[in-house]
Amino acid sequence: MSESTPFRAAAAGRPVAISIRNVSQRFGDAGSPNEVVAVDDMSLDVRRGEFVCLLGPSGCGKSTLLNIVGGLFPATDGVVMVGDKPVKGPLPRDISFVFQESTLFPWYTIRENFDVAFKFQNVAKSEWASRTKQALEAVNMGAFIDHYPNQLSVGMRQRVNLARGIALGTDIILMDEPFAALDEQTRMVLGEDLSELLAKTGKTIVFVTHSLAEAVFLSDRIFVMTARPGRIKSIIEVDEPHPRSPDFMLTPKFSELRNQAYALLRDEVRQAIALAREAEAAHA
Amino acid sequence: MNDQANFTTRSIQVAFLAIMAGVWYGLTKTGAVTPLFLPPMDIVYATFMRLVQTGQFWSAVRVTLFTIAQAWIIAVVAGLLVAYLVTRSRHWTAVMEPLIASTFAIPLTLLFPVFILFFGIGPASKVAYAATYGFFPVALITIAGLNSVDERYLRAAKSMGASSFDTFRHVLFPAAFPVILTGLRVSFFISFASVLGGETLSSAAGVGKAISLAAELMEPARMYAWIVFVIITAVSLNFIVSAIENRRREY
Amino acid sequence: MTVAAARVPAASTPSFIGGMSRRAKVIWTRRLVLLGLVVAFEIYARFIGNPRLFSPPSAIVYALFDEILVDPRIRGAIYQAFTEVLVAYVMAIIIGLVVGLSVGWSNFGRRSFYPIVILLYAIPQVILLPLFVLTFGIGPACKIAFGVSHGIFPIIVNVVAGMRNVNALYLRSASSMGASNFDLARHVYFPHMVPSLFAGLRLGMTLTLLGVILAELYVSTGGIGYWTKLYAETFDPAPLFALIAVLAVMAILLNELVRIAERRFTRWRN
Repeated sequence: MSESTPFRAAAAGRPVAISIRNVSQRFGDAGSPNEVVAVDDMSLDVRRGEFVCLLGPSGCGKSTLLNIVGGLFPATDGVVMVGDKPVKGPLPRDISFVFQESTLFPWYTIRENFDVAFKFQNVAKSEWASRTKQALEAVNMGAFIDHYPNQLSVGMRQRVNLARGIALGTDIILMDEPFAALDEQTRMVLGEDLSELLAKTGKTIVFVTHSLAEAVFLSDRIFVMTARPGRIKSIIEVDEPHPRSPDFMLTPKFSELRNQAYALLRDEVRQAIALAREAEAAHA
Repeated sequence: MNDQANFTTRSIQVAFLAIMAGVWYGLTKTGAVTPLFLPPMDIVYATFMRLVQTGQFWSAVRVTLFTIAQAWIIAVVAGLLVAYLVTRSRHWTAVMEPLIASTFAIPLTLLFPVFILFFGIGPASKVAYAATYGFFPVALITIAGLNSVDERYLRAAKSMGASSFDTFRHVLFPAAFPVILTGLRVSFFISFASVLGGETLSSAAGVGKAISLAAELMEPARMYAWIVFVIITAVSLNFIVSAIENRRREY
Repeated sequence: MTVAAARVPAASTPSFIGGMSRRAKVIWTRRLVLLGLVVAFEIYARFIGNPRLFSPPSAIVYALFDEILVDPRIRGAIYQAFTEVLVAYVMAIIIGLVVGLSVGWSNFGRRSFYPIVILLYAIPQVILLPLFVLTFGIGPACKIAFGVSHGIFPIIVNVVAGMRNVNALYLRSASSMGASNFDLARHVYFPHMVPSLFAGLRLGMTLTLLGVILAELYVSTGGIGYWTKLYAETFDPAPLFALIAVLAVMAILLNELVRIAERRFTRWRN
C-alpha cells in the first residue's frame, strides 16, 4: 500500500495516531515448508479519532496485526508508531484492548475486575471507584457491579468488557471481533452504542471483524485484507458522520458499500477456505 | 522439531530411572546404607530369580489374584446395581449420591479390623475389604455417567415411543458406557491396592503377607524382590490399560 | 441432572412429605435412610446377629462413653493419630505445591516430569508400608511419612492440571493493561488454579487420612492399631465400632473443613 492513503473522511487532516510501516509477521522456521506468512509488508496510518476496520476472511492475519499494534507480540519486520513512540511492548496508558470474548476474569466480581485493571495500569486508587461507576453507567450496567461475570449473560458480559476498555481511559482502543460471540440483535445495539461513544469521546478505534454490515456501519475506513498472506487489498471509505443511527443501514449508500465490500471479499473467502482444506489434507 | 522435543522428554524420563538405579547402586556399594535397609541391586535380582522358582511365590500370587478377582467382581456387580437403582429417580439420586460420595471420603480402611473380626485373617476378609473399597468408584462414576447423558437423546427416544427399559438399553447405557468403563478401571486398581493392603495389614497368605513377613523376618532382599515385582506389575497394568483406552478413543 | 426427572413423574415421591420443597424432601429422605439403617442394625444386632461379631448401635454409644473416651490411653492414641494427620497434611500441601508448581510451570517440565509423577502415583504404595516402618520406626514419624506419601500425589497432579489451559486471552488482556509477571501469577494463574487445587486438597485429605490410618493399623504394638487388634481378637465389637466411629467422625470433620474452605474460595464458579 502507498504510504499516505488519500481519503475524504472526517478524520482527514488530523494527526496520525497509529502509523504502521512495512510490518510483516511470519510463523515457523524461515524458508521451511511450515513457514506461514500471516502479515505481509503492511503499511497504513490511522488518524486520531478515526474508526478503522480490518475486514477479511478468517486466518488473514488481521488479529495478528492488531496484536502487533498493541505490542502483545513483536513483528518479524517493520515498525509501529503510536504517536511518536515506537511500539516495543504493551502501552497500557495509550492502548486498551477489547477481545472477541469477554476477558473479565471469572474469579473476580465486576468491581474487582475494574480494580485489578486500574491496578495493572497504575491508576491512582482514588480514581478507581468513580471511573468504574461512570463507565458501567455509560453501558447501563451499573446495577451489576457486585456480580460475578458468570452471573451475567454473554451480551451483558461483553457490554461490561467494552466498558472496561473505555474506563481505562486510553486514546486508542483496539477491538478484536468484540461482538463475534453475540447474537444479531445485541450486536446491533452495541454497535450503535459504540458509534455514539466515538462521536462523544473522539477515541481512535481499530476494529477487526468479518461481518460486512458491522464494518460498514461502524467504520470511517475499511481495510479489506487478502487471504494468507495478509495484505491490504483495497480501502473503502464510509463518509458518514458519527453517531450513526440504525436508519443508516436502510440507505442505498449502506447497501452499495456493503456490496462493494462483499465483492472484494468473496474471492478471498473462497481462497481462505481452499487454504484451510489444503492444510487439513496435509495433516491427514 | 516435535521429534526432538519428544526425544528430550524421553531422555529425561530414562535419565530419571537411570539416576534412581544409580543412587540405589551407589548407596549400597559405598556402604552408605546398611544392606538391612537397602540391599544391593544384584542381590535383590538374584533373590527374585530364586523366588520365582519356588512354589510359594506362585501360590502367593495365585491367592492374591484370586482375591482381587472376587473382590472386583463383587464391587462391579454391586456398584452397577446400586447406580442403576439410584438413578431410576431424580429424587433418589439426590438423596443417595452425596451419601455414597461422602462415605467414600472417609478412610474405609477403618473398617478393616471389622472385616477381620467378621471373616478372620483368611482371604474372605480381604475380599470384603477390597470389594467395599472397589464398590464406591463403580457406583459413583456410573451414577455420574448415567446422569450426564444428554437429555435431548432421552426426549428423542421417548418421542419415538421407547419404554423405560428400551431407553435404558438403547440410550442411557450406550451413552454412559465409556464413563462406566472408567469406573471399572478405577475400581480395579483400587481393589488391587486394597487386597495388597489388607494382606500387608493382616493375613495368612498372599503377596502383601509375603512382603510384611519378609520385613518382619529381616529379609530385606526378599522384601525388595517382592516390592519391585508388584511395582513392575502395577505399572505395566496401568500402561496396558491406558494404551487400550487411548486406542478406543481414536475410534 | 434433569435426566431422571424426565422419566419419573414427581408423584412417585411419598405423599406424606408432599408439602415440602424438593430440597427439603431430599434432606429428609436422606435422614430417614440413615435412621432406617441405624434401626435395622440395632434390631439385627440385638435379636439375630452373633453378639461376638455385631453390636447394636445403642451398645456402641454406651461403649463410646464407658470405654473409649474415658480411657486416657485410648484418648491419647486418638489425639496422636489426629496430630499425625494434621502434620502430614500440612507437609503434603507444602511439598505438593512446590513440586506441582515446578513441574507445571513450563511445557518442558510438564512433558518431562509429569509422566514420572503419574508413574509413581500408579504404584500401590501400601506395599511400601513395611519399608516405611523399617526406615522411620514405629513412632509418629512413620505414620506422618506414610500419610505424606499418600497425600502429595493428588495435590501435585491437580496443581499441574490447574496450571494448564489458562485462557490465553486473559493473559493477553492482562498484559495489554500493563500487568507484570507477578500480576499475572497473582491475578490470573493463581485464581485459575484454585478450583483444581481444591479438588487436589480434598483428595489429598482423604488419602492422607488413608495413609496415616493404614500405618496406624499396621503398627499394632501401640496407638490405634493396638486397640483395634485387641478388640477384634477378643471378639469385643462394641468398643471396636465405637473407636472406628470416633475416627470416622474425625475424618468427616477434616473433610468438611476442606470443603468449607473450597466453597469460600470458589464462589465465583456458581
